[in-house]
Amino acid sequence: MRIEHWWFTAPLRLKSILRGRRAERELDEELQFHLDHKIEEGIAGGLSPREARDAALRAMDGLEQRKEEMRDMRRIHWLTDFVDDASYAIRNLRRTAGLTAFVVMTLAVGIGLSAAVFSMLDGLVFRPYPVPRPGRVVTLVGTSRDTSFDDFSYREYLDIRRGTKSYDGVIASGAVQGVGISVEPGATPRVKAGLLVSGNYFRVLGVEPQLGRGFRDDEDEAAGRDAVVVLGPEFWRHEFASDPSVVGRIVRLNGTDFTVIGVAPDTFSGMEIFLRPDVYMPLSMARVFSTRPQKNFFEDRDDRELTVVARLKAGTTIQQARSELAVLAQGFERDDPKLNRDRGAAVLTQFEMRTRADAGEWKFIVIFAVLALAVLLVACTNVAGLLLSRAQTRTREIAIRLAIGAGRFRLIRMLLTESLVLASVAGVTAIAVAYGAISFFQTLAIPAELPFTVPFQLDRRVLLVNLSLSVLSAIACGLAPALQSTRADLVNGLKSADADAAAATGRKRLWGRNLLVVAQVSMSLLLLTASFLMMRGFQGVVGSAGFAKDHLLISRFDPRLVQYDRAQTQQFYKLLVEAARAMPGVQSAGLTQNPPLALSGFGRLAFVPDGFQLPRDRENFTVMMDSVDEGFFATMGLTILRGRGVQASDTAEAPRVAVVNEQFARHYWPNADAVGQHIRLDSRTGAPVEVIGVAQTVTYRQTFEKPTDFVYLPLAQHPVARMALLLKSKGDPHQLIEPLKDVVRSLDANLPISETRTYEDVYRYSAVEGPGVGIRLVATMGVVGLVLAVSGLYGLVAYNASRRTREIGIRIAIGAGPSDVLRLVMGKGLVLVGTGTAIGLVMGLALERLMNAMLFDAGGVDIVAYLVIVPSLLLATLLATYLPARRASRIAPTQALRYE
Amino acid sequence: MSKPNDLLQGTLDLLLLKILALEPLHGWAVSLRLKSISGDVLQVTDGSLYPALHKLEQEGWITAEWKQTENNRRAKFYSLTRIGKKQLQTETANWQRLSTAISNVVQLSET
Repeated sequence: MRIEHWWFTAPLRLKSILRGRRAERELDEELQFHLDHKIEEGIAGGLSPREARDAALRAMDGLEQRKEEMRDMRRIHWLTDFVDDASYAIRNLRRTAGLTAFVVMTLAVGIGLSAAVFSMLDGLVFRPYPVPRPGRVVTLVGTSRDTSFDDFSYREYLDIRRGTKSYDGVIASGAVQGVGISVEPGATPRVKAGLLVSGNYFRVLGVEPQLGRGFRDDEDEAAGRDAVVVLGPEFWRHEFASDPSVVGRIVRLNGTDFTVIGVAPDTFSGMEIFLRPDVYMPLSMARVFSTRPQKNFFEDRDDRELTVVARLKAGTTIQQARSELAVLAQGFERDDPKLNRDRGAAVLTQFEMRTRADAGEWKFIVIFAVLALAVLLVACTNVAGLLLSRAQTRTREIAIRLAIGAGRFRLIRMLLTESLVLASVAGVTAIAVAYGAISFFQTLAIPAELPFTVPFQLDRRVLLVNLSLSVLSAIACGLAPALQSTRADLVNGLKSADADAAAATGRKRLWGRNLLVVAQVSMSLLLLTASFLMMRGFQGVVGSAGFAKDHLLISRFDPRLVQYDRAQTQQFYKLLVEAARAMPGVQSAGLTQNPPLALSGFGRLAFVPDGFQLPRDRENFTVMMDSVDEGFFATMGLTILRGRGVQASDTAEAPRVAVVNEQFARHYWPNADAVGQHIRLDSRTGAPVEVIGVAQTVTYRQTFEKPTDFVYLPLAQHPVARMALLLKSKGDPHQLIEPLKDVVRSLDANLPISETRTYEDVYRYSAVEGPGVGIRLVATMGVVGLVLAVSGLYGLVAYNASRRTREIGIRIAIGAGPSDVLRLVMGKGLVLVGTGTAIGLVMGLALERLMNAMLFDAGGVDIVAYLVIVPSLLLATLLATYLPARRASRIAPTQALRYE
Repeated sequence: MSKPNDLLQGTLDLLLLKILALEPLHGWAVSLRLKSISGDVLQVTDGSLYPALHKLEQEGWITAEWKQTENNRRAKFYSLTRIGKKQLQTETANWQRLSTAISNVVQLSET
């Protein structure tokens, strides 16, 4: 059909559907007009009126058939049939309102949960980059022995840009942890998120600024020349009230004046999932934002801070790009083997980037998704079972329909329409469920002043998934019952209202439903196992941080924001800690680059341990590190197991020392005391550092991480600009906030203080609320799965019992006792439960291995989990079979025999 | 849509379109016109006429309007639409092509 044809005919069809009665009248009138003339003509030709009428009708050869032919013509059959079926289905469903409500709720929960989890999966994995033709955008990463996802240095980026032909453009960007921005000259700077980008960034991505212009390619060529800035849309809205005259204004970033040249569009939220840049600056201005003063950003090939992204040329495959980049990386290694030993490079698609092995979140979501789909599956089997029971009581209706000539296909369509109606109502309800769940995910407040975004939303994509799941589940739970009930044996079907009474076909049918019960029980066991294991996994780490979290206040500082040099920075921190210790109510104070579990990345230290056999092809190892002052361990409450912590005497001039954690000590000196050993920085010939103490191992990035090596260096020997001050309070830590601000103001009125909050708040997010959402989500799914399975089982046993009412009545009449009846009714159900449990156990064990591999690494089998789950499942299912069975055993024989 | 090999089945359509292209007519008048033009060669029963007209209407090629006849009765008058005119042209062209081809074949001398 051509579209334009539909354009003309659709209104006609629509008219005939909407105005069916009028069309019918007009049809009659038109034909009557013709007949009248024909009769007149006949009479004029000498026939009697009666003969004339007969002749006229004969000429029509079958008036009624012709009319029907014409009616057919103006109808769209499938549509009108569908409307008929749907209204019939609605009438039918309303008659059994209770059952309908149950089915709708069941499906709605299954669909809604799945859609909500999809929103998480979409936010973290699938949602394409917010740029045109996102599928052609790839990420280039460096690979080495320690990481497969390394950034590139500026020099390397330039070489890649020059040395590759596979791309329409290669861009680089580097996140700036905190930019001090003052919109008005002289105002105290505020800390915002910035992104350094190459000049071609917006052009290559295809992002058009909504105001002003993007960067020109030449604006990243000369270091320090082009102090221009593009504002992020949200920053523009909040700080400038969407003022269109913002272009050309001066804003001060880290003390340097930048000219605003444009505003990024609302549709572009950056290429990262969680972080939305407030300001974009050209790479050439990197010095203003540098966090590694010891490195020269523009020259050092190992100052690797840039994310390199490229747009593939049309017609170039990713394989071509990969081999091209691999050759280039080999060139790097040849030119500078010392810096590039064993380094390679890879080209990754968005999907590969989002599902990288070193990011943890998506793995949870994948498990959530599997669980949510399992819930949906249980819901579908449940509904299928219910529809099947219903279809069987409708056997007579269907047999009659078949007998009077309805096609089987037509009947299947009718029954499927019914489940489609059910599923659409459920789908609409599911939107509410999904909305609730997603709102719950969004309540995750991230305690950071930088604009972290929670990427989960109820958008078009989620609604689409919701819709498709509804349709799929309609088919999944409607098809089997429809197929089965339309295969009715006409003779038996007409004889009895219940086809199961026809034993020959009954056995086969029950087999299908037994399968459903087994599937339900095993899926529900699987769900329970998964949620139980995840809950235990999460809970095992919540509250086991290994250090005190109370009475702690954190405040972050970055004196570079007010252009302190290195000496000034050190002086500032010295004065700050002294003043803080003198504050009333402060028990102790310490400095750390980054407290554990506080949501920031840790620096890495390259080192070689003395006395450890370094593999031949390795220059060094790397380890997570932190620079701390002498007050840190006491304030944080970390135990020094052996040796000593950092002391004030560990100054820049003193011998270099380090504190390692127990994991590190055991890793490199398994048979000796780590205290007194040496590590060398960077390489075998680097400066020696003596290990002076071993601290307890805690979790650093995430509560569920595996024990990790960690090294603490004295701040004085390893100075860092951006530090966090920790205050241990005697009373409520909140009461220290204002005095602390006064102290800072007295040191420098212009210095911004960021993220001043209690450690408990920070910890609650990173270790309690995040996992808490997960715990509640999996717990919900486990409970929903169990409820569904139990209710499905109950329904089946009750149905079977009611079907056999007559038989049970006879048995009782000829002397069967209640226990015989109980055995009769429950026996089958319990066999099914047993089978389902066995299958579920096997699947549960497999899932546990998978989860251990992916997430918690609890090792071994969690016996306790099964000891709790299996009995509770058995108890619940026992109850579900017992209740209907007991009812059946109390049937009065007289009543039962009168049944039907 | 109108494949050339539909042409023979579509002959009635072509005739009706052509007749209605001359002037808007009601069904009865169309049946009279059909008879008078083609004599008894083309037999179109009353029974197949109306379904054919309705089909053309549903295709959107002709449109119907209730109007008064000369002896003051309400009747359904059909007239050609814009795409009906286009359809008439294509069908006429198809018909001519086919009839030329067939007559060429028929006139081949059997030697």
